[in-house]
Amino acid sequence: MALKFLVVDDSVTMRRIVANSLKTIGHNLYVEAGDGREALTKLASDDTINFVITDWNMPDVSGLELVKSIRANDKFGKIPILMVTTRGLKEDIIEALEAKVNNYVVKPFTPQILREKIEQIISSAV
Amino acid sequence: MDQITNMENIFHKLGDLKSFFVYGQKLIPILQKILTFMEDTVPLLEKVNQSLQESTSKMPKATHQINSITNATEIATTEILDIVDGMTLDIQSMQSKLESLKSRTGEDEDVKSLLKMVESISNGMMNITISLQVQDITAQQLSSVNHLISSIQEKLAGLIFEVKDKDISGGVDVDYQFPKNGSFNADARYEKNTGSQKLADSLVSENINNTSQEEIDKLFAKQ
Repeated sequence: MALKFLVVDDSVTMRRIVANSLKTIGHNLYVEAGDGREALTKLASDDTINFVITDWNMPDVSGLELVKSIRANDKFGKIPILMVTTRGLKEDIIEALEAKVNNYVVKPFTPQILREKIEQIISSAV
Repeated sequence: MDQITNMENIFHKLGDLKSFFVYGQKLIPILQKILTFMEDTVPLLEKVNQSLQESTSKMPKATHQINSITNATEIATTEILDIVDGMTLDIQSMQSKLESLKSRTGEDEDVKSLLKMVESISNGMMNITISLQVQDITAQQLSSVNHLISSIQEKLAGLIFEVKDKDISGGVDVDYQFPKNGSFNADARYEKNTGSQKLADSLVSENINNTSQEEIDKLFAKQ
């Protein structure tokens, strides 16, 4: 099963680190978006994307708003979403889960954690 | 009879007048003290106003400097990542050549040792990449400081704006707009302890995944 990731983060550094981590764990297919709005545009125009990794704190459309918009969308509403963020408070995690993210990673993360969470999401679908 | 009454009234009024003057004489030193106090206070208030103007006018500059720091660290981090990527490719190439050499030379101890070293360097490279996440985390902390400065500047600019009509606001740009940026977490921390991740894992495991099996199967079946 080929996974094509959409990596959403306003930080160029973080997009790069997430992309490098994906490559390290054997996932070479990914596209990037700098904020939630751009992510929604990419999701609407590229139906080969089947996994979203998003930051929370972003200008314009935040990661949480992005998750809610995705879940409200008929076309790509069921796409797996992994939130990767600095927000590690209980209420933040609960809010993200209520918005229906599939899993949650607190920065700083390692490629191993990323792999573990991606595999958990995929295995729940198998 | 009327003349006597009038005279009594006049004396009474004169008495009141005398009391007023006596009271006035007592009041004059107090008024003088108030005037002296005001004379002393006005320069002080002018200094406060000047200080307020200076502080307020410096805030946008401070914000710009903080943004410059964030941009500089982002550029530097990208440069480091470029170098790390280049070195990682070299290491991978070295690793594949060593593997090939190992298959030709059998169980050569030197080759095995070199492979271990290469693997260790490769892990070190990955750790550098992981540590560079600190750039994003500090950028969020700096944005949080900017937000704080922006809030203080708004309050101070509001004060200056109120006295602007009285023409004492000086040359302060009270209309300066700080960049509105909600892209930060004020609680962002660079901590490698896994406490927050464990909390997230625990909450995720408690959470019921509402995405149905069938729908996920359909999604992945597209590939």
